[in-house]
Amino acid sequence: MDGPVVALDAVDAAYEGERSAALHGVTLRVRAGERLVIAGPNGAGKTTLLEVINGLLPFQYGEVRVFGRAVAAEGRRLRTRIAYMPQDLSFPPTTPFLVRDVVMAARYAQIGPFRWPSAEDRRHVACALDAVGIRTLAGRPIGRLSGGQQRKALLARALAQGSRLLLLDEPTANLDPVARDEVARVVSRVEEELGATALVVSHEAGPLRDGADRLVCIEDGRIVADTPQTPSRAALVPAGVA
Amino acid sequence: MFHLPWHIVLPTLLGTVLVGALCSALGTLVVRMNLSSLGFAMAHAAFAGAALGLTLSAAEPLWFALIFSGAVAAILGPLADASRMNADTILGVVFPVTMALGLVFLYTAPSSGIGSGALSLLWGSVLGVTMSQVAWLGILSAAVAVLLLAFGKELLALLLDRKLAEAAGMPTRATFYGILFLIAIVVAVSLRITGGLLIYALMVLPASAAFQWAYDIKKVFVLAPVLGVGSAFGGALLSLGADLPIGSAIALSATAVYLLSIAASPKRRRPR
Repeated sequence: MDGPVVALDAVDAAYEGERSAALHGVTLRVRAGERLVIAGPNGAGKTTLLEVINGLLPFQYGEVRVFGRAVAAEGRRLRTRIAYMPQDLSFPPTTPFLVRDVVMAARYAQIGPFRWPSAEDRRHVACALDAVGIRTLAGRPIGRLSGGQQRKALLARALAQGSRLLLLDEPTANLDPVARDEVARVVSRVEEELGATALVVSHEAGPLRDGADRLVCIEDGRIVADTPQTPSRAALVPAGVA
Repeated sequence: MFHLPWHIVLPTLLGTVLVGALCSALGTLVVRMNLSSLGFAMAHAAFAGAALGLTLSAAEPLWFALIFSGAVAAILGPLADASRMNADTILGVVFPVTMALGLVFLYTAPSSGIGSGALSLLWGSVLGVTMSQVAWLGILSAAVAVLLLAFGKELLALLLDRKLAEAAGMPTRATFYGILFLIAIVVAVSLRITGGLLIYALMVLPASAAFQWAYDIKKVFVLAPVLGVGSAFGGALLSLGADLPIGSAIALSATAVYLLSIAASPKRRRPR
């Protein structure tokens, strides 16, 4: 598509029952293939921005378009084309789901009603698990994994959806430095191979931020800075990975 | 073995087996989604509705049970859905109202009085089941099985995590309301066998027991009806053999299955 993948125009959004808006007049354009890192203090509106883009949080003013389509009108249909990794989700030990089923569930909306996953869907899941290095955990209960392993499973889930737009909310939270580098490489590889666009919330310095095309800073629900990043993320991707 | 003739015993046993499978299969959804309070409220609303049917001398009081439990699903579902009302509040408001209404209707019913047929709505009856009702229960069981299979992906996504399902574009709201109305139907239809007071035991206990045995929700969906059928059949045998109210006997049997599952659960074993 020629236009921006994500376009917000003067968007105000507030959570139900709250008087003050979480986003104020946010205008943003994200082009295909860009990696945009969103930073800011706690409560600044980073997660809210992602939830408005994928239509989970209704906005009161302005317009949000994804892949050229209005989120307000086509939210659910658009969400099947947007991979989302939430920040605050963890699975308690009693969760009765295996890792492979958690990842497969990301594809259910695309499979459509009255049909069950095909061999092709299972292949997507296996590739996603491979990409984040947890294929050996596929048959384990998700609640029995460590916090970092659960984050990887959620990242695999986002990848398995096969979307060209990734919304990743703190994907490296709870990960050790080695795993953080791995996640950054995975995101870079997806961007390179699929031409995917990624909006990544990350308030910590590290390879995800270093490899970004743009750094957008939010404070009090307003974008206060939007700056190109150097060096290019190409320097981050080891030879032979992309 | 039993003091009742087989033409009464057989429909009772068949009916309880089907109710056991139905209630515990849906119980998997109830337990996993923390809908216990809402389901409990629906069960008591169904009891109040059936009591009203008796007061009005309706040919089939269970239609009134269906209307009442469906109304609770329609009114309280949106409140619970949007977390505008917590589970304790739902229970605290609906339980006394429905119980009070049900007892007032029973009191004014033409055949009221302890031991009357009307009171079987409270604790169930082995005498109230006919082969035609068993046939309807069989059709409902088959329909529920088909629905669970047809919408399996939607249900699994919702049971994993509602926000994740919504973010992936699943029709979470429609699925949620579908589950509520299915529970309302099953509660109303099962009322005659288990009674309004204790039907909920058959919905929650076998499913909770099944969760003790498996980490895979698909296995829980298979195991819960097996335990539900076992609980219901055991309860029916206890009721017929010892001349106990069938609802109470099934609740005791299901409780025993649950306690055994807790004690033997592999999830509670410490690694050596």
